[in-house]
Parts: sequence; C-alpha cells; structure tokens
Amino acid sequence: MAKDEAHGINGVTPGEAVGVVAAQSIGEPGTQMVLKAFHSAGISSVITTKGLPRIIEIVDARKKPKFPIMEIRLEKGIEKNYAKVREIWRKIEEVKVSNVITNFDEDLKSGTLILHLDKEKLSFYEITGKTVASRLSKREDLSVEQMDSETIKMKYKGKGRTAHMVRTAFVNVLGSAIVGIKGIIKATVQQAEDGTYTITTSGSNLEEVMKIDGVDKWHLYSNDIFEVMRVYGIDAARNLIAHELDEVIKEEGFTVSFRHIALVADAMTHTGNIKSIGRHGVAGQKESVFARAAYEETVKHFTNASVFGEIDHLKGVAENILIGKQIGLGTGIIRLTVKKDDLKKVKPKKED
Amino acid sequence: MQAEGIEYIKFTTLSPERIKRMSVAKLIVPDTYNEDGYPIDGGLVDQRLGVIDPGLKCKTCGGRAKTCPGHFGHIELVRPVIHPEFSKTIYLLLQSTCFQCHRLLLTEAQVQEIQPVIKTFVSAEEPEEAAVTTVDITTLASVFGEQDSRAILIKKLKSVKKCPHCTTPQPKLKLERPTFFYVDGNKQKPDEIRDWLSKIPDSDLKLIGIDATATRPEWFILTTLLVPPVNVRPSITLESGERSEDDLTHKLVDIMRINQRLEQDIDAGAPQIIIDDLWELLQYQVTTYFNNETPGVPVARHRSTRPLKTLAQRLKGKEGRLRYNLSGKRVNFSARTVISSDASLTVNQVGIPSRIAENLTVPIYVALWNVDYARKYIDSKAYPTAINVIMKDGIRKRVSDVNREELSKGLAPGMIVERQLVDGDLALFNRQPTLHRMSIMAHTVKVLPGRTMRLHVSVAMPYNADFDGDEMNLHIPQSLEAMAEARYLMQPKDQVLSARDGRPILFTEEDEIIGAYLLTQDNIKFAKDDACRMLAGIDVYELPKASKDGTYTGKSLFSKTLPKGLNFEGKTADGKTTIKNGELVDGVVDEKMIGGGGGTLIAKIFDEYGSDICMHFLLNVAKLSLMMTAKVGMTVSVRDYYNSDAILKERTKIVNEVESKANDILQKYKNNQLERLPGYTRKETFELIVMAQLEEARHLAENVLKKSLTVENRAFLMAKVRARGNILNFVQTNMLLGQQSIRGRRPSRGYTGRILPYFKRSSKLPAAKGFIKSSFFDGLQPTEFYMHAMGARDSAMTKSLVTAVSGYLQRRLVNAMQDFYVGKDLSVRDASGGLVQTIYGGDGLDPTRVRIAKGTM
Repeated sequence: MAKDEAHGINGVTPGEAVGVVAAQSIGEPGTQMVLKAFHSAGISSVITTKGLPRIIEIVDARKKPKFPIMEIRLEKGIEKNYAKVREIWRKIEEVKVSNVITNFDEDLKSGTLILHLDKEKLSFYEITGKTVASRLSKREDLSVEQMDSETIKMKYKGKGRTAHMVRTAFVNVLGSAIVGIKGIIKATVQQAEDGTYTITTSGSNLEEVMKIDGVDKWHLYSNDIFEVMRVYGIDAARNLIAHELDEVIKEEGFTVSFRHIALVADAMTHTGNIKSIGRHGVAGQKESVFARAAYEETVKHFTNASVFGEIDHLKGVAENILIGKQIGLGTGIIRLTVKKDDLKKVKPKKED
Repeated sequence: MQAEGIEYIKFTTLSPERIKRMSVAKLIVPDTYNEDGYPIDGGLVDQRLGVIDPGLKCKTCGGRAKTCPGHFGHIELVRPVIHPEFSKTIYLLLQSTCFQCHRLLLTEAQVQEIQPVIKTFVSAEEPEEAAVTTVDITTLASVFGEQDSRAILIKKLKSVKKCPHCTTPQPKLKLERPTFFYVDGNKQKPDEIRDWLSKIPDSDLKLIGIDATATRPEWFILTTLLVPPVNVRPSITLESGERSEDDLTHKLVDIMRINQRLEQDIDAGAPQIIIDDLWELLQYQVTTYFNNETPGVPVARHRSTRPLKTLAQRLKGKEGRLRYNLSGKRVNFSARTVISSDASLTVNQVGIPSRIAENLTVPIYVALWNVDYARKYIDSKAYPTAINVIMKDGIRKRVSDVNREELSKGLAPGMIVERQLVDGDLALFNRQPTLHRMSIMAHTVKVLPGRTMRLHVSVAMPYNADFDGDEMNLHIPQSLEAMAEARYLMQPKDQVLSARDGRPILFTEEDEIIGAYLLTQDNIKFAKDDACRMLAGIDVYELPKASKDGTYTGKSLFSKTLPKGLNFEGKTADGKTTIKNGELVDGVVDEKMIGGGGGTLIAKIFDEYGSDICMHFLLNVAKLSLMMTAKVGMTVSVRDYYNSDAILKERTKIVNEVESKANDILQKYKNNQLERLPGYTRKETFELIVMAQLEEARHLAENVLKKSLTVENRAFLMAKVRARGNILNFVQTNMLLGQQSIRGRRPSRGYTGRILPYFKRSSKLPAAKGFIKSSFFDGLQPTEFYMHAMGARDSAMTKSLVTAVSGYLQRRLVNAMQDFYVGKDLSVRDASGGLVQTIYGGDGLDPTRVRIAKGTM
C-alpha cells in the first residue's frame, strides 16, 4: 500500500537516515525537559516517574520500573456495579499485618507477640481477626492463639531462641500478607464520567491479577515493560515502550511524531528481545567491531574481536567515517555507473 | 580521497612468528640516543624503524622523514609474559579445558548439540559467507537454553568435576587480577600456562567460538614483543635543545632494561627467587605498557609523577584515538567567529566578514566549458582572485604576481582553481551543540564588512542561537557532490518544517508577532501615504482596494504578503481567521499562525507554494510587522505593574485562603489524620500535599489578573499574544512570587530545624518554608529574598545537570540508531540489512508531510 501512488511525493525518500532523525527528535526536546524525579500533582493517588528520568528508565530497559502501576478494567456487566467492583478490589490490594494493627506488644524473652487489631481498618478491608489468625497460623515457627476479635497472641516455638531470631520472626509477621496480590502496594477504585469503574494500582503483577474473575483480561495495562513481555509477548512490549515514551513526551508539552517514538521501540525490540539503547544493548551488540569500539569500552571490543577472529564488513556509518569513506545512507545509498565511451560523445558548449 | 578497496577488516592476534616476520630489527639496547645525539643501533629509535628527524634516511626503505611510513621492530623476551588484556580469556580457557588432557570439558553428546550453531561460525572463514561473525560464547550458551551468556557457560564448565575424556578430577583454578593464575593454590608461571593452552586442539577451540586460524591461545602469552615504529612515538625537541621521548618509548626502555637484567641474572645462575622477582617485574612493565589503568596494578609514572599514557589510554575515551581522531576529524576550508543579527538578510543568507571571504576558497574544477571563467580569477589581481591552482599531478601552486601569467596560460581541463569566496556561494553553517539536523544548514554567502558572521533572526531558532556572544562555524563544500547536496537538501528555505513533528521551525518572533497582531486588528486604518510607505518596504508597488473613506485597512496591507489565490482557515487565540483567495477576510494573525505556536499559516504556504514563496512570505511578514510595531510604538512602563487597591485586596484574600488551607493540612498532619500516599512516609505526604496547596496561590492570582488586565497594558498584550513573556511573569511582578522550591520540595536546610534563625524551630508555616507573599513590585522581605535566592540557585544547578544527562541520552540514541535507513522498499534496515520496520512509520510517509497525506491540513 505504501508504495502506492497515492502517497506520491509525501512518501519517505529511500536512503533517508530515519534512525538519526528519530534519535534527534527524541533527544533534542530532552535538553529542555526538567530533571525532576517525579512531579505528582499531589492529590493523585498513583505516583509514577515522569519526564527525562522516565525516558531514561524506558530506554535503559530497566528490569523493573521505579514506580510500577496498573490500570485494571472490569468485564462488561459489572463495570458499573460498585459492590462487585469493591469485591474485586479487595482481592487485589495487598494487605499486610502491619496495615491492620493499631499497635503490638512484644516480649523477646518469653517470645510472645500480641497484636492489637484496628477495628476500623479491618472493616475497611473487610477482613476479620479470624482471617488474620488463620493466615498466621500457617507459619511453622509460631503458635497462634486468638484472644478475642481484636487481639491475637503468638508464641515463638522455633529452634534456638535467641533474641535476634525471635525479633526476625516478629518483623516477618508484621510484613506478611493477609489478602491481596503480591506487589500491589495500593489499589484505588476510580469512577469515570460515564459511571464505569476502573482500578488503579501502585505496583504491578499481571499474572496474578489476570486470574481474578471479573477482570477484563483483554484490557489490562501495566507500565512494567518486562512483565508485559513475559505475559503478552514482544509485540505488546514494543507497543508499551512506544506508548509510554509518547505519553511522557506529550505530558512535558512536546510534540514528537509517533513514528520516531515507534522506531525507538522497534530498535529496542526487533530482535525479539528487549534490548536497551546503550552500551549493553543495541549500541553494544552491533555487528561491527569498529562501531562498538568507537562508542564505549574500546579496548574490550578490540581484544575480544581478535580472540574470536571477528570480521568488520565496514557497512555502518561509524565504520565508514573511521576509514574516511562515504557513508551508505542518504545520498550515499546511490551508486551510479557511467559508460566512459558515452562521455566522449558529449560536446562542450560555449559559455555565454 | 577515499579508501577504495577495503572490503573488510579481520581482527586476529599476532603469533610470535608473525611478529618476527613483521619486524625489521631485533632491539637489544635499552636506550635511545648516544652522547652525540645520534640514534643507537639496536636501540629504541634504531634507524631501521624509520626516521623522524629531517636529514636522516631510513635504513629499511631509504625514505626521508616525510616519505618513510615507519617499520616495526621486536624485543625477544627472555621469559614469557602474559598479555594483560587477554588474562580473562585465558582464565576462561583454563576453566573450560581439562587440566590433564587439555580437551574441552564437554561430552560428545553435548558437542553434537552445539554443532549446528558452530557450523555457521566455522564457515565464516570465507568472508562472503560470514553471515554470523559474532557467534561467540554468548550464542553458544543459548544452546544450553540460557539467555545470558558467558557466565552461565563458564558456570556449566566450571561445575564439571571430572574430565569426560580422561576422567581426571579437575583442580581448583583462581585468577588473581590481573595476571596471576593458581591451580589448587599453586602459582602458575606464564610458561606453564602457555604449555597448557598450546595443547588445546583446534577443533575444541572452534567449539567455543575461537577461530584457530586467527588466534591460537598460546599467543596470549608473549615471548616476543612487537615494537611500534618511531613515527608512532615521536620524540619532541624542546626549546632548550633537549629531547623529550614519548611515553611509549619510556615504557619500552623499562621493559628492555628489566629484560636485559633478567637475562644477565639467568646467565649468571642467580638464585630462583631473584629471577622470579625480576620476572614479575617484567610482567608488571609489560602490563602497564599495554594498559596503565589495569585494575590491581600500580600506575606507572613519569619522572614528574604524571601517569604514563600507554597503548590503551591512546585509544580510549573521548580524547582517545577513536573518538577524537577517527570519528571526529579536523577540517580545512572552515571559519568560526561571533555571530550577530541582520534584518536585511534573507533567512537563506549568511553574512561573511570580508576577511574570512578572502581566506576561504571554493574549487573550480576546470573543464573545457569553464576554462575562461576560471582564468578570469587567476588574472584578477584584487578580490575576488584565485589563491591556488592545483595541477594535474596534484601539486598545489600558490598564485602570486610572479607566476600569475604562467599559470593563466597553462590552465587546462583537469586542473583545479581555488578562488576566493564570493556572494552567492553556498556554505554550511553550524552551531554547537548540533542537536538536530537543522543545526547545520547551507546558506548563501553574502560578503559584508565587519568581523562577525550575520544571520536573520528567524533562522536563529533552529540553531538555538542568540547574539550574546555565540560563535558559529562555517564550512565550504569542496566537491561537486557536496555542493549539490547542500544546494538541494540543506538550505534553510527547504528546512522550514521540522522532521520532529512536521511543524515549522522557521517562523516570526516577538516584535514581528505583535506587529502582525496589531496590523490585522479590525479597526486599523492607514492613510494612502502611510500605506504606500509600508508596502514599499516589502517591495510591493500596487495598493490594495481602498475602503469607502479612502483609507486602507491593516488587513488589506497584510494580505499583500500572502501568495495569490491562498485559501486558509486557522485558529488563533482570538478565534477563527479566514483567508480567501489571497485576502485576509476575517480574524487576526497571531503566534499560532506565524509563530512558534504551530505556525499553521507558514506550513500551509510551504506545502502549497514551495520553499521560495514561503521564505518570501516569512520575510515580508517580518518586515511589514516590524514597521507596524515601530509605527504604533511598543513600550512598557512601571504603570503596567501597578495594582489597584481592589486587586491588592484580592491578593490578601488569596494569600489568606491558601495559608489557612495549608494550616488545615498541618493540623490534620499533627492530629495524625492525614492518609499516607503509597510509597511515602507521613511526613513526605504532608509536604507533598501542602506544597501542592501553596503552589495553587499562583494560579488563583493568575485568574484574578486575567480578569482585571486589558490590552491597554502593553506588557500584558505581549504576554497575551505570546510574543514575549507570560502571565506567570505578571503574577510574580504584580501579585506574589509564591512558593519557592528546592529539588521539587519546600526548602528545608540551613540552621537546625529551620532555614533562618528568624523562624521557630521545626516550624512548618508557609513563610518559614519558602512561601513568598510579596511581589517584585513590592520588593521582597529579607527572609523572602533569601528563600528566593535558594530557589534560583537550585534551578541554575538543575539546569546544568539536565544538559549533561540529556546530552548522554542523545549520544546513546544516535549511536544505537545511526545505521537505520529507509530501503528502496520503504522498510527500515540496519547496517547489515536486518529488518527493523517493514514499512517506515507504518505508512511509509515523510514526517514533514504526514499532515498533507492524511488530509489533516
């Protein structure tokens, strides 16, 4: 289709160095961006990295974003039913023991820990003291006894009762989860103008959220690129990279054509794996020894090349600049041959 | 001057035999010159290695300093020494092979599994078939089902306790950086390791990706050391006549000295301990010769305690050979000076000081066609004249009064005449940092008096230049191809639309915008003489149709800048603007149409009428608008920043409101009622919310101001039309400065628990934390002034940090993607033809023309 005449003069010129154009189009506004780690509006409940730091985070292909978030849509039919949505929400947010207690008494000598549960918080999360107790009773190093609905007593019964070990066990208890999905620090239910509810979370765990009934599995969103690749595949990851870059740039008030952003995303993913832009990724895994050596870690690339007997075919831009040849991009892509005999037929004209 | 014929470059390691074959001299004397200042035979500047002194002759090729390329020599090391850069590879090989039988620690079955991958590698001996040249251990490891790499394979081979071939239990290996190896705790001598490595069969090496024809691992242990020619390490003669040798020569002298002592001691039968000590010293010297920054090795220093710059340091980093001399090269035919603005130039021109024009040259490639044209320049005695004539044999002859006639007569096709720069030549103009492609454009030369290069203000935007002392570079293309490329692709008039978003990057600014806005107001009228004067300014000599009262409207004058037949509908801040058949019918012209806020009108004209008409439109609008601005008079006074009592009352209200809200939050925080934001502590949550609340003050003030100010206030007019300044400036001068911030938070450091001693300790009140109630007009309170200074310093520092961070991001992006290009099938390819996108951008469209193709314009 694209070669169609409809595109005519509006099509790209073959040879165009689109990589450099894309890189410059994203890098140039970067100079004008703020380096604030995050500028949350203060009121919004989810916090994410914004601006230049987020661009660098994406382009570096960090294994985990600093502030992972998710947006969960719900299946048709229950999306406007608050009670049902709340039911789902309850399964998502990870509630730890420390979230539902007012205070605790510990006695390291006898190895006892008494938890005083917070009634309000229990009802907010819709759990009872019993759930907490039964959850804790799965631990092998503690005996659990529920005193009343708001008090739980625990006794350490593990081997070798040093104060340090008892303490570690107790700290563990406070940090252990009662309900919810691992890694979801906070989930909030939000209502859109048309009355549909969505759940926004701090922390991301696609695999687990997908298992919950009522969650729209076809419209899950997470800003964790590697997780998306694991769950949905490389194409989804590519789209996510492009989408995230686009959002960040837009939010900073710059307009960058999506094709440049998509090219960066494709550069990172076209091999089927997520590669970072930079020394350990795209730039560091180029075929050409010279291109790699001219970028970073010069000596390492030369010595390794000699060990493995690598061959540099001098096709890229960096190599040709190095050896002083015309580069094979842009106007350099064109090769002309002339029949020498034909040249002789040309007669010189007199200049006026 | 192209390096034709280099098809590919293969990297290998040198064998001792090869080194000896390359070498023209075995060096034996650890010294350079004798007392007479003459090179010692067999010394480090032996004349067989080439000569650098004029007057001496190379003993190998007979060439002089300029013609002799230099020749390699060698040193025979008495005891072998490990090449430090390969010690990791050596360690890897030792771990992968058997201690006894030196075979790879893989079973036949595992080898079979690997074979398919290896095949592609092995066939790489035929360079044409070398589809996969980088198959190394990384790829190999993937066969084992692991993604990442070398470490995993080593782990795998390391865990092999028994050799599958000879069933020998494997000893424990250890590498003590950089060059010491231990087998079961016993230190290994380099020759022992050499023995081990040399016994690994070629076929096994292939299995881990090493091409034995290129590299045998025993070559990693040096028995002969290649000595680079003197041309590589020239000595400098100081003013005092003293010679100062290159760092490499110093290092080589050290190596030879130790080598000689070691030889003597061995011959004299010295005790083993002494020999071992010397051997280790030799190892140290060789290690630092290759890389003086090897981790774990003390840095070798010059007499003056300056660290020596040895081989690795020469190549590495920003100032190393690759990035400084090979990726970036120095050029001739260039100029650099301060820039200044010139409104009478076109955006396509650049003003060049005559002194520069006299020194820069443009080549005329003489052919039958242009012999007479070229001869004119040789015959001319004053500017413009020919500077040099390059003869057919490539010899450059300077034109002088002595040889002028001779050269003029002898001029023939095939010669090149270098003439001075004249008006109309094309020159590449550039400002650093070169962040995007519009940072280098081809301008038409206009030779001017003065010492600065001049450019039109509108073209300052793509260069990101201003005239407070900026300097710019100029290059004159020297080949016909380069000239053609500059002419057809690089002129500013063709670069109006940015490839980033397809919007204009050449547009009018500031005074021009305000002029155009005022000119196109509904009630603007001109008498006939005024109208004539204005139009003559843009070279238009016919009047538009007059109104009934005999006057001419501003809109009709503006219409004279528009190309004939233009139809356009655009949005402005004031509403809609309609242009019909080249006439501005309705609405105003503002920054959204002709400025940086979209420049929709410029884009439209560029798309429909092309670069030349677009450029003239831009220049004419600028001129006409400037005349309008000058006629109306744009001036601001203190009055513009003076507030009525009513407004001041509003301000007090705003401040009180914001402060009381902040106080509420503080109370909540103190009463422990504030809900924590995820990922933040209570204190941080409080700070975030309070700060958001206090920053709100500016917005409230802005709304009040917007209601009360009118366009009679010129400063407000400028902000409203987005010619210069913004509402925030107004808020800060008229109402209040608002909350100051440091690293995105309220200021917090200084004295214990407070910023200044005028506040209570741990006070969380707005004023104690950088909230400023005063305006610039009022003047700031001393404490406020201090807070403001803190905020200003913080933003100055952040700014300098951002440039470093984003500069590196830019370098990484460009480096990663520089090889991508659009193929003839509109797919995006990398250097080796790998597919990145099947169709560029999903639609194969040029980013500057997407709007037209998609019909959104």
